[in-house]
Amino acid sequence: MTNFIDYLLGGFSNGAVIALMALALVLVWRSTRMVNFAQVGQAMFTTYIALTVQQSTGNWVLALVVALLAGSILGVVVFFLVIRPVKNSDTTGAIIATFGVLIALQAGAGMIWGGDPEGFVPPVDNAGLEIGGRIWPVSLYDLLVLAVTAVLVIGLTLLFTKTSLGLSMRASAFNPEVARLSGVRVNRMLITGWAIAGATGAIGGVLIAPFSTISPNSFDILLVFAFTAAVIGGLDSLIGAVTFGIGTGLVISLVSGYSDSGNAPIVALVLLALNLLLKPDGVFGHHGSRSV
Amino acid sequence: MSKVEGVSKVESVSKVKGLQTFPGNRIIWHALIVGVVWLLLLLLNNNIDPLYSSYLALIAMYATAMFGMTILVGLSGQVSLGNGALMAVGGYVFALTSMNWETVPIFGWQWNAIWSMVFAGLGGVLVGGVVGGLAARLKGPYLAGLTLGLAVGVPAITNRFPELLGGENGLMLTVPYPDGGYAAAGAAASLDPGAEGELESTTDPGGDQNGELGTDDQFAELDLSEFDQETDPDAGLATEDLLTEEDFGSGDQLADGDLLTEEDFGSGDQLGLDGTDIGTDIGTDAGTDIGADLNVDSDSLLDGFDSGFIIERWQASMAIAVACIVAFAALNLVRGRQGRVWKAVRDDPIAAAVVGISPSGSKVSAFVVSSLFAALAGAVFAQILSFIGPGAFGLGLSLSLLVGIVLGGRASLLGAILGAILLVWLPELVDGLAGERGWPEQITNNAPNLLYGLLVVAVVLAAPGGVTGTIRSWVDKARGKARSPLS
Repeated sequence: MTNFIDYLLGGFSNGAVIALMALALVLVWRSTRMVNFAQVGQAMFTTYIALTVQQSTGNWVLALVVALLAGSILGVVVFFLVIRPVKNSDTTGAIIATFGVLIALQAGAGMIWGGDPEGFVPPVDNAGLEIGGRIWPVSLYDLLVLAVTAVLVIGLTLLFTKTSLGLSMRASAFNPEVARLSGVRVNRMLITGWAIAGATGAIGGVLIAPFSTISPNSFDILLVFAFTAAVIGGLDSLIGAVTFGIGTGLVISLVSGYSDSGNAPIVALVLLALNLLLKPDGVFGHHGSRSV
Repeated sequence: MSKVEGVSKVESVSKVKGLQTFPGNRIIWHALIVGVVWLLLLLLNNNIDPLYSSYLALIAMYATAMFGMTILVGLSGQVSLGNGALMAVGGYVFALTSMNWETVPIFGWQWNAIWSMVFAGLGGVLVGGVVGGLAARLKGPYLAGLTLGLAVGVPAITNRFPELLGGENGLMLTVPYPDGGYAAAGAAASLDPGAEGELESTTDPGGDQNGELGTDDQFAELDLSEFDQETDPDAGLATEDLLTEEDFGSGDQLADGDLLTEEDFGSGDQLGLDGTDIGTDIGTDAGTDIGADLNVDSDSLLDGFDSGFIIERWQASMAIAVACIVAFAALNLVRGRQGRVWKAVRDDPIAAAVVGISPSGSKVSAFVVSSLFAALAGAVFAQILSFIGPGAFGLGLSLSLLVGIVLGGRASLLGAILGAILLVWLPELVDGLAGERGWPEQITNNAPNLLYGLLVVAVVLAAPGGVTGTIRSWVDKARGKARSPLS
């Protein structure tokens, strides 16, 4: 039982990062109705930038801010150069294009920073905290990750529910034509969506890097987990992405704890397949958003 | 005079048209085309340097897999990243059957590579049927995401069964060569770490893959004891880290050139040779120094092969044979009724359903056919490498298949061939350029992938039909006809 609690507690911070990546996917889905498979590639790239900043200045907060800015800029660049020019009718092409971006970003990162895995030093201690005579599987850094994620999620929620920008973004996601008629600049909202998604993913990347190492391909598996969480959450639900992102993190932690961390992708695959079979619209999704 | 010519022209045209409209004759027509191409390729293979034969083998292997991609992505409109994983299925089935059942005759036929290929194909059909059944319910990004999970999950699945599949080490397999190739087989079988279960998953041939298989002299000194001692430094890292990239063994070693596995394995021919070299080395316990020239070595060291046997040529002719048979099947499917069914469902599933086509049935059939082709290609790949492991069949392979098909031309079989050529030729071109200009390795290793990524985006935006689609639309424009580049 103590094992169970330990595994569960240990899964929260990973879950929070998966939730951020899933959020990024959902934000893009809401603005352009497509899955950005390059999302983790963008996050990987900005994490490398953050790593460079941290290595040269030693300032983690600065690195995070730089990653955030770089992430939003990269998101907008990808949107303008790749996503917007793809013809609306060519949905297959749009998916393929995002994979093209992923390949190019990974190769670009490999060119600039090399293919060897590099460590990302966390700003605070990443060893388990000792409280009440026992070591818990939660470190100061885990708490920091959770705090940053919570701030971000609350901020996004406020943005979408309390501000006119959020209202416009929701309107253009819900029904672009009606939104345009009511004077919402839909195109600008799409750009904003991509920028916010890029920034969210970038923060997720910087947060997760210290848990392991960073290499051009090291986030591939994160894409699978985030996609799983986003799809189970319904792809257009922010709350769904957060809930199932954390849920996925917990499941992975339990699977890794009781068997082997190598089994996590299999479990994610099974979860994804089951969900797509049984509840293809996701748990929080709007019914009828898909046809045929 | 001119009148007579005109009449004969009309007659010949009607003859050709008759050939094309009558289905039985179309099959003969296709058989003729494929047969001629096959003969030409064999002629080419026998008259080029063995190094080029090894490229030919890889091109044929990629083309085999990408004929399936043409059908799945191009005609049926399903973006799948699972075909690399299905190649792994074929490769593993080939390895396991050829290693374990090599003495079992079927219907009086001695076991040989063909039986293993048949079983590899069956394995592909089975797995493809299951995945395809799931896939038929999904569209667009959902399918891509699910198959992405499949591609990323391959290493995890092989790790799940370390005894059977060799874990992250993969399996060194014995290719059943013709002309007494089994002589070396017995020796090499004792080498296989997975089957013996001695080494468990602690050794890391992923490292050997890049580091040692590349250099011949190191390999000559390799013997079983070295295998024993070489433990994976990452093995202890299997903690609850989320990013388990290192745990996936060769994943990190392969990271630099991940998209194109061809590069990582040096040229496939070297690997093929090396695999057998170990076999003889250990079998005869010779430990003789293998000199510089691989070809000479293989000839002198491998008992059971006559001196005229050039392994690259054999691999290429085998890969060409599979590619041609698959091409024949694909031609008949694509240009026949089934091809129109796939296109109809891709373009408008509701309209297709109205005229009595089952959209999900059509999607599943495309998936199964492409899985069959992928599995056969995987079996060929395993034979070329003499090795199968998760590192060679990961996401990178699936992505490169997608790249190839998009660049060559999504909806055309010729596009698949062009894409296969591009996948093999571009890294060589970059390598050559890098050698001339003295680029650092970091640039050289990633340049092909960067080009692929940018080219894919450019092609999707500017010329969705790829090379073949674009050329065809030019031709059509010149003739004054308009057609969609993807038709």
